Amino acid sequence: MKILVIAEQRQGKWNNTSFETLVAAQQIAAATSGSVTAVVVGKGVAALADDLASKNAAEVLLVEHDLLGTYTADGYCIALAQVIESAKPDLVLFPHTYQVRDFAPKLAAMLGKGMVGDCVGFRKEGDKLVFVRQMFQGKTAADVSFIGAVPWFASFQSGAFRADLLQAHSGGKARVSAAKVELKEENIRTTPLELFKEAKASVDLTQAPLIVAIGRGIKAPENIAQAEAVAKALGGEIAASRPICDEGWLPMERQIGSSGQTIAPKLYLALGISGAIQHVVGMKGARTIVAVNKDQNAPIFEIADYGIVADIFEVMPALAEELQKAKS
Amino acid sequence: MNIIVCIKQVPAKDAPLSIAGNWIKEADIGFEMNEPDSYALEEALRLKEKHGGEVIVLSLGPERVKQTIKEALAKGADRAIHVADDHFSQLDPLGAAKVLAAAIGKERCDLVLTGLQSDDHGFGQTGVLVAALLNLPHATIIMQIEVQDGKMKLKRELEAGWFQHIECPLPAVLSIQSGINKVRYATLKGIMAAKKKEIMTINRESLGVTVEPTQLIEKIYVPSKTKKTEFLSGTPKEMAAKLVEKLKFEARVI
Amino acid sequence: MAIQREQLEADVLVVGAGPAGLSCALHLANLIKRHNASGAKPELSAENIYVLEKGREIGAHQLSGAIMNPKALAELVPDFAKNAPLDTPVTESAALLFTQKSSYRFPVTPPPFNNAGNFVISLSRLVKWLGGLVETAGVNVFKEFGGAELIYDGNGIAGVITEDKGVDKNGKPKDNYTPGYELRAKVTVLAEGPRGSLTKQLVGKQKLDHINPQTYGIGIKELWDVQPDKIKPGYVAHTLGWPLSTKMYGGGWIYGLSNNRVSIGLVVALEYADPRFDPHAAFQTWKTHPFVRDLLDGGKLVRYGAKSLPYGGWYAMPRNYVDGGLIVGDSGSFLDSQRLKGVHLAMKSGMLAAETIFEALKKGDTSGKTLKLYKDKIDQSYIKTELWKVRNFHQSFHNGLFEGFVLSGLQEITGGHGWIDPMHAQPGYKAYNQIHGRSAQERFKGDGKLTFDRLMDVYHSGTRHEEDQPCHLKVLDLNVCSTRCVEEYGNPCQYFCPAAVYEMAKEGEGLKLKINAANCVHCKTCDIADPYQIINWTVPEGGGGPNYEGM
Repeated sequence: MKILVIAEQRQGKWNNTSFETLVAAQQIAAATSGSVTAVVVGKGVAALADDLASKNAAEVLLVEHDLLGTYTADGYCIALAQVIESAKPDLVLFPHTYQVRDFAPKLAAMLGKGMVGDCVGFRKEGDKLVFVRQMFQGKTAADVSFIGAVPWFASFQSGAFRADLLQAHSGGKARVSAAKVELKEENIRTTPLELFKEAKASVDLTQAPLIVAIGRGIKAPENIAQAEAVAKALGGEIAASRPICDEGWLPMERQIGSSGQTIAPKLYLALGISGAIQHVVGMKGARTIVAVNKDQNAPIFEIADYGIVADIFEVMPALAEELQKAKS
Repeated sequence: MNIIVCIKQVPAKDAPLSIAGNWIKEADIGFEMNEPDSYALEEALRLKEKHGGEVIVLSLGPERVKQTIKEALAKGADRAIHVADDHFSQLDPLGAAKVLAAAIGKERCDLVLTGLQSDDHGFGQTGVLVAALLNLPHATIIMQIEVQDGKMKLKRELEAGWFQHIECPLPAVLSIQSGINKVRYATLKGIMAAKKKEIMTINRESLGVTVEPTQLIEKIYVPSKTKKTEFLSGTPKEMAAKLVEKLKFEARVI
Repeated sequence: MAIQREQLEADVLVVGAGPAGLSCALHLANLIKRHNASGAKPELSAENIYVLEKGREIGAHQLSGAIMNPKALAELVPDFAKNAPLDTPVTESAALLFTQKSSYRFPVTPPPFNNAGNFVISLSRLVKWLGGLVETAGVNVFKEFGGAELIYDGNGIAGVITEDKGVDKNGKPKDNYTPGYELRAKVTVLAEGPRGSLTKQLVGKQKLDHINPQTYGIGIKELWDVQPDKIKPGYVAHTLGWPLSTKMYGGGWIYGLSNNRVSIGLVVALEYADPRFDPHAAFQTWKTHPFVRDLLDGGKLVRYGAKSLPYGGWYAMPRNYVDGGLIVGDSGSFLDSQRLKGVHLAMKSGMLAAETIFEALKKGDTSGKTLKLYKDKIDQSYIKTELWKVRNFHQSFHNGLFEGFVLSGLQEITGGHGWIDPMHAQPGYKAYNQIHGRSAQERFKGDGKLTFDRLMDVYHSGTRHEEDQPCHLKVLDLNVCSTRCVEEYGNPCQYFCPAAVYEMAKEGEGLKLKINAANCVHCKTCDIADPYQIINWTVPEGGGGPNYEGM
């Protein structure tokens, strides 16, 4: 299969999930004896394209235009539609980012195609390519296959593939080609204004890839600082099971479970959480689950990948230290 | 402002799921308004309170979705369009969007609002596709809407704590971020008034929409855990070190 | 600060959309329809009948075994056989005596346990269907609204105030704050089920109690899908004995539904001596009996629930009419505790209330004097015939099973009179013995496959509540919990609540009561069984509570 990967950048910086998508593309290409081309979209991004080429993971297609300097749905769709029509790929892949959610379905629809979004993996069944995504908020997985002629469009969830598995071909740098696209100002109907950062009014745990969660085992609010130290060293967000939020020790938006948030992060570190079903349904979709609890029969261990049966007050400081060491 | 809000009825969040092929058994489970859509509805009602006009609920599905439509009417929507379709759970995102777009196309409206995604399928594409099919501008993950002189200034959420303002003309399609407002309760008067509000029932055929599936959900299943728990041993300090090593090199999450 | 409440007026306000409340509304709507069609005056409207239901859906809070005698339904909906969702007729009635290892079937099923002619039903499904008929008849049914307070008027009631919505857990209004409505009606029908919160207030305030205070049981139920051929649809068994002692009143049930679905449960009277008795644990233990274990082997838990039931019978029936008010259903003690039948009596009471209200509305007089017709109708109906016979039944068992069998046997042949008539009863919470320093046993854990701990079960009840709201379980004096109750009774709330709402958590040197209100399945056991009667169950924000679909 000929695969196009639409890499994402903003203001000259990569959205790193693009590399995870490249890994997915490489794996699919290997399974289908295909090729991978990475597409870089923007204005004045030749250096980025070069950087990508030097990783020698795929051929690079540079799509530049004055009107692509800042993202707009119209701009990206019109430009990429032309790129796809000329490149004629079998599969177009995206990282499932906020930006991709904003334009990729429209791009596919413009070409009369559908998109399978937010996939967590793929399988080859004989000649068929099956994409796997989640339904019912992660309670079930779904196998989806495309109907009709290529090109097919799909996006992969952050963390579904490991960016560090990117394979480099031998022999220097990949080729960079430039694609010309036609774009007129009147085609672009929305006007993007300034980007700004805000101390968010609330935290969105569903977007956090690394979570450190505390349960009753934390015993008192003054002990939460120890867990926060672990979270800081990890670079993750703090979350909690219900009793903690009920007591008001952490705000309700940090609550994970059937009456809180349902999340599927890359890593879920459960400290002093027993694993009652009300909590587990909110996090069992996590890729890697680590549980620390002094009760070896705690139900949390049934779903954990790694278990530590110990007192969390002895483990937390050690963990914070080790994570700090690993960072440097 | 005439606003159409696309609202989906989904299985209740805590309903025990009984899988049947590529969908679930619908007997004995409750259904409710898709929570993300309730924020879109609330936003529409607030815009109406500010700018006047009409809020129209649009929903696709079997007869049972009328229950959810009535809830929306009870909260203050003015009228509703129900596109009756017993098999809508089998529609792919493009198919559903085609039906919705056809129904919207028959109305005069300034704005179409949708929720971010549904709690059952979770495609997250409906708003964008409806905009594409109607050839309207769109924006997603919208946190705030300001309307002035026939144009909108929008606040859109990006990853990692970033936001952006966008100017967008009307008419347009917007997907509303969840949790941006406190959803109002239906009042007793609202519930009674809802009984008298119009729900226009039409079917897919009368809209003249042909739907060709672009994808097929072959089956759904509960993902099984194939890994066994690896218990670490040693002193707490040793176990912490071992864990970090495994997280780095084995699980590769840090 | 006085809250500005929106006022609405109705002819009739029914609090609770259960079998009694809905039967009342439907029968009244039918009577009004015929009345208007005949051109009679004054013209009445079914739209002026309001029904309040605190659950998310009609049927969401309905829980029962259940075996239903169809006689009331046949009167209410003559063509019920065509459309009513009655799961299966009873095909076999068995009475079993359990010992720890074996079970013995009574060679002749005692008459109270003989259910020929009755149906095994899902009460929730039946009520949901009835609710559809009520709405079609034009009645206004308001889901997600509870009756929080009564509006008193002289010796009677003038309506109900619904709960405030959008209040945060500290009592402050949120963005979507909506104060409760002042709903006034010519007649308010209290149909709240067992231990109704408004009924409790009214009975207490107006001293409506009859000879005996109401006594209650708790019913804990699980719905299972079992392997094919384990049980026949319509097979009905009631079990006595293990694991309950002979001093305890109660037993288990096993009802076979269609499609390999089974309703099982345990009822226990809330008048046991050991304050640390755990009804939920007893139910889980009962499931390990070889008979039940075999039935459930390879099966799957579908849903869980718990609810109290009124055992007091005729002599615990409060005066059920006041100026502007009537009490129907379980709130009014219309349960036959011998036959365990309450659905048809609830429905009949609702219908008789409807007829009474109809006359009152026509007359334009809804005073207690006119509404007394309700009591007269009850006295002349099969409600009296059935309940009068068993008026001393439950009280007979006060000193245990053996004495109970003897006394109730005597009642059988004396039309209910028995040895003493009336037999008095005391409220169940007075039965506790103090713990005198006895230490507590380890809590039941469950194996996760056949037996479950309460948290796992509560998860399967579909219970949810708006998180950010004040706690709806009002404890009048938390000090008692941490001091007297620890000493005297060992905090029974931790044991009798089937939803793990109450916990005693360590605080400093002592214990403090922790309330997990969000788990509450609205069974009312805490309100009933707390030894100091300081727990007041109040209605939480509407829509919250369990989801008993299919139960």
